[in-house]
Amino acid sequence: MKESQQKTTDFGYKTVAREEKASMVADVFHSVAAKYDIMNDLMSFGIHRLWKRQAIACSGVRKGHRVLDLAGGTGDLTAKFSQLVGDTGQVILGDINDSMLKVGRDKLRDLGLVSNIEYVQMNAEALPFPDNSIDVITIAFGLRNVTDKDAALRSMYRILKPGGRLLILEFSKTDSEALSKIYDFYSFNLLPTMGKLVANDSESYRYLAESIRMHPDQETLKSMMEDAGFEQTSYQNMTGGIVALHRGFKY
Amino acid sequence: MLNTLLVAAAERLLNTALELDPSFATSLEKLQHQVLAVEIRDWQQTFALTYTGKSFMLFNNYQEQADCHISASIATLSELKDPSVLTRLIRQEALDLHGNLNVAQAYSQSFSNLDIDWPEQLSRYLGDAGAQQLMQHCQSVKSRSQQLSKVLKSTATELLQDELKVTIHPLEMAQFKAHTRELKQRTAQLEQRINQLLAR
Ligand SMILES: C[S@@+](CC[C@H](N)C(=O)[O-])C[C@H]1O[C@@H](n2cnc3c(N)ncnc32)[C@H](O)[C@@H]1O
Repeated sequence: MKESQQKTTDFGYKTVAREEKASMVADVFHSVAAKYDIMNDLMSFGIHRLWKRQAIACSGVRKGHRVLDLAGGTGDLTAKFSQLVGDTGQVILGDINDSMLKVGRDKLRDLGLVSNIEYVQMNAEALPFPDNSIDVITIAFGLRNVTDKDAALRSMYRILKPGGRLLILEFSKTDSEALSKIYDFYSFNLLPTMGKLVANDSESYRYLAESIRMHPDQETLKSMMEDAGFEQTSYQNMTGGIVALHRGFKY
Repeated sequence: MLNTLLVAAAERLLNTALELDPSFATSLEKLQHQVLAVEIRDWQQTFALTYTGKSFMLFNNYQEQADCHISASIATLSELKDPSVLTRLIRQEALDLHGNLNVAQAYSQSFSNLDIDWPEQLSRYLGDAGAQQLMQHCQSVKSRSQQLSKVLKSTATELLQDELKVTIHPLEMAQFKAHTRELKQRTAQLEQRINQLLAR
């Protein structure tokens, strides 16, 4: 059955009504926004920076490009893209959550990056842009939170210019059993505890761990991208498949 | 991943250099948003360097079109110490160069002009003796990179002189044409001025 015809959806390991997921996800990110960056560094031992670096290297973003950093949160990718596109380009930091956008805006302003960045609240499922208007879209650690992923992928495809590309950076499935055991222990025991200690919020970090496990694996996501129209789709595993970088083009 | 970590560290080093020598940024101004890719064949890795006007970005695993692309083995790259071998290397297909040669020249020029008061900066961390030793090492690296810049400078002329066994990239051709146009214009201006002087 197609995702969009179902009445319920996953929220971590829980099953909730489709209409409810968005606001439940919103609660999670409202509550973690202020501590988001520091938790990212702690939880991944800083490795998320390397994953993001790889995404930027594969983005092909150049001077003059119009780039959408979707589910961009606190704007790590936006900060780099803003420099790469220069004065003649533009980066849009799009997120459904205004708390995250606000943290992002303050951070980027402190970095002295302003002139070519726009902050827009938006839902990935219905992107507020005309057809064929964006050169590169990235969505980093965002897609798994989106209720209707197929609709989101179609929406991204629609707004991309021909020749444009989409990059999806997301937690995925590792094929190493040992790594997977360590990773499970880490995410279900240590992570919520760290979330409690640092952000005083173990529930949100439990959701994080569960939502990662519910996210489609590499091959499934690849075929979802193809269903949405993307061509030359490919992915590369990082850190043993804990994270995968998917890429697809619109022609 | 380890590569990515090392590249991140190297990028940070470059950006530190940018802070320590203000003239470095000035010398890079013309290069803003130009991408230089260096493919090291033995590692099957392509590294790319770009200056964004604010900072350097350095990538590994680079698969995009760069403004200038050099491909060679490590051994070949170190052979470049001797400028005369470059065309031979290209002909033997030991070295490939695509795109705008000026980009490579300009980057290497800026790097070799890098002027940081290292002993001063380093002695803060290492003490005077340690700084001294490190400096000697760096001097030798620097002189090597200066050599590389000389090599690249002479390459343009050599490429033309060497019976054009090496194909000219369309970008180079376009640039050449632009230069020629400019020269023509200047000659015309000069002619006019001489005529004016003669008329007096
Ligand atoms: C884990 S954060 C990732 C932030 C940033 N991209 C990064 O890598 O650090 C996920 C973000 O997705 C946003 N998000 C969740 N559902 C969304 C949707 N339907 N549309 C747009 N953004 C959404 C959240 O508000 C949150 O800021």
